[in-house]
Amino acid sequence: MTYYGFVFPLVVAIALVYSASRHEEWPRIWWQALRLCGAIFGILLATTVVLLLINTQV
Amino acid sequence: MPHPTVDLKNRHLAALLAWMVPGLGHFYQGRTGKGVLYSTCILSLFFVGLWLGEWRIIYWRWVSPLANTEAFCFNYLGQFFAGLPALPALIQATLRHYGHDPILWGFMAEPTQNEINALYRHGKFIEIGTLYATVAGLLNFLAIYDAFDGPGHVAEDEPAVASTTSTEVIEAGASA
Repeated sequence: MTYYGFVFPLVVAIALVYSASRHEEWPRIWWQALRLCGAIFGILLATTVVLLLINTQV
Repeated sequence: MPHPTVDLKNRHLAALLAWMVPGLGHFYQGRTGKGVLYSTCILSLFFVGLWLGEWRIIYWRWVSPLANTEAFCFNYLGQFFAGLPALPALIQATLRHYGHDPILWGFMAEPTQNEINALYRHGKFIEIGTLYATVAGLLNFLAIYDAFDGPGHVAEDEPAVASTTSTEVIEAGASA
């Protein structure tokens, strides 16, 4: 397991706890956690791509 | 149709319990599902972090954050909110401050500089472990706030929030 694998449990835990602190109904908690996971991973991926591009161009 | 209500019971006690053990405040309020979710996520992150850090990454030093920034343990400010699991560090630091030997076989006692250097030779696991434990504490801050004040966003079809105090006020107003 590479170091990058450790980001998954971290992001999932953050998304679940944050969503649970925002809502009381389980369908809403799951749905927001899923969306938040997607958003965080999307931003992480986009940031990584941008940094890689900058790194290879400099 | 009556609007369902989340009864926070004694919200101050619930917040204290939520700090002591992640999820305990929610069990006290009868919000069992949330209690399970909080305790699973937060305690798993905390103990996996501790394990990755070879059980030596959580410690506290009684130093001034202004006079000795290098020695001040910023990470512990987050880890503290994990509650009782992080409390031995505070006890060990206090014992050391007053010149006593550590207890519990030195669990969460401040390691020597040589031990810290040896830990960091293990690579990134120490940093990841520290991050996990710190984030776990910060996440419990959200859980404590949820136990104290209820969910942050209540939609029309979600249960409204009431604590013992507010319920008593409503009942007193109705009977007057």
